[in-house]
Amino acid sequence: MNDSITSDVVIVEHMRKAFGDNEVLRDVSLRVGRGEVVAVIGSSGSGKSTMLRSIIGLERVDGGTVIFEGADLVRDGIYVPEKQQRRILRRMGMVFQHFNLFPHLSVKDNLITAPVTVAKKHKSEAAEKAKELLSKVGLLDKLDAMPSSLSGGQKQRVAIARTLMMEPRVLLFDEPTSALDPELTGEVLEVIRELAADRMTMVIVTHEMTFARDVADRVIFMDNGLIAAEGSPKEIFYDSQNARLDAFLKSFRDR
Amino acid sequence: MSRGIGYTLAIFFFTIVFSLPLGLLLTFFETSKNPVLCGATKFYVFIMRGTPLMLQLFFIYYGLPFLPVIGKYLAMDRFAAGCIGFILNYAAYFCEIFRGGLLSIDPGQYEAARVLGFSRAQTTAKIIIPQMIKVVLPPTSNETITLVKDTALITTIGITDLLHYSKSLVNSTQSVLPYAVAAVFYLIMTTGLTLLFNKLEKKFRF
Ligand SMILES: Nc1ncnc2c1ncn2[C@@H]1O[C@H](COP(=O)(O)OP(=O)(O)OP(=O)(O)O)[C@@H](O)[C@H]1O
Ligand SMILES: [Mg+2]
Repeated sequence: MNDSITSDVVIVEHMRKAFGDNEVLRDVSLRVGRGEVVAVIGSSGSGKSTMLRSIIGLERVDGGTVIFEGADLVRDGIYVPEKQQRRILRRMGMVFQHFNLFPHLSVKDNLITAPVTVAKKHKSEAAEKAKELLSKVGLLDKLDAMPSSLSGGQKQRVAIARTLMMEPRVLLFDEPTSALDPELTGEVLEVIRELAADRMTMVIVTHEMTFARDVADRVIFMDNGLIAAEGSPKEIFYDSQNARLDAFLKSFRDR
Repeated sequence: MSRGIGYTLAIFFFTIVFSLPLGLLLTFFETSKNPVLCGATKFYVFIMRGTPLMLQLFFIYYGLPFLPVIGKYLAMDRFAAGCIGFILNYAAYFCEIFRGGLLSIDPGQYEAARVLGFSRAQTTAKIIIPQMIKVVLPPTSNETITLVKDTALITTIGITDLLHYSKSLVNSTQSVLPYAVAAVFYLIMTTGLTLLFNKLEKKFRF
């Protein structure tokens, strides 16, 4: 619709957020283009989660602007009315570190509850789509399983499928593999790689440096509430000009 | 004696049917962001849980009619007074149980629901309450069984319940048997409820 003006799906300008005296986001500006995969790296406490959560409305920012597909979510720290917020946010998806599946619902019901309740889709239509997406993440045989019977890697793949049910225009991932045993990270990263190949627009906070290097079009290094460095994977991982980034990457290599 | 059983069952039934939803409502009041609503509910629960149920029954049936001006409109029959006393009292206990259930829910559940586009009401109905039920079933079962036995308190405001009849039968027949019959009846009720709750707990094991 606004593609003629800008192909950016998400525009963040001068976003600020504090918890009490703790200034967590000091001045963050960021653009995510359609089909782009942005990886966000940075040390613990640098504000990566807070940035994602602020984009998707889980945290209220103190200042700055967030524009999604040409529509304001918040401008200069002032939010649009709640109803409008929900309409905008419905087109974004988020995948959490701890999956946050609904434990009382089967895998199938986890997938169809939002389309049926929120988007007023027909149950049978949603169920068809659920099957399609579950086979995409390799879990069609778990259709009637309860979340408690799944491994961490399977839970996260179901969570990704659940998010995709709402046909998001951008997907935000907050450390999708950090809660998993090392041998289970691969199956989740593989699903994200496939989404990248399908040109899904994604912002991925991760500590998996190899994955970030391979899958991202652009890498953002956050440090102390600011975007301290930004560039192609090659620029960030091999030609860093930033002392803090060097130190951060070195701490990873030494592990 | 069967009339007595009728009163006992009726008090139990009315109390459960009205105090469970009222308790849930109080839980939402108590956890709301409105400080007046939250404070008033806390105070209510404090009074109801901190004073004897028998005193509350006396207050409602014998006490309220002596209030100046409005007192004469508050006189009611024994059974209505008993029901109101039990409902108000048990709602406070259920409120505390439900609050524990609500607080046990992972904040990530609200966040997942929100980013999927659920409204607050939809989140409460579809995501939160079903998970609460699992947590609150065991304490609710306990409280319900306590209620069966507590119903005997209505004797004290002159309602002719099961306990009342067994007591007068013991006096008139000079036999202890009616007390045993009453005990068996209470046991049937509590056992039945225990079985019912066990079934429910199995259903909510996810
Ligand atoms: N709800 C909150 N209330 C108070 N402080 C918070 C809250 N959430 C985050 N913070 C603080 O904000 C800072 C940034 O947190 P954030 O979670 O964004 O960092 P992060 O970069 O995601 O770190 P990690 O790699 O450990 O996940 C931290 O100092 C944290 O303690
Ligand atoms: Mg984080």
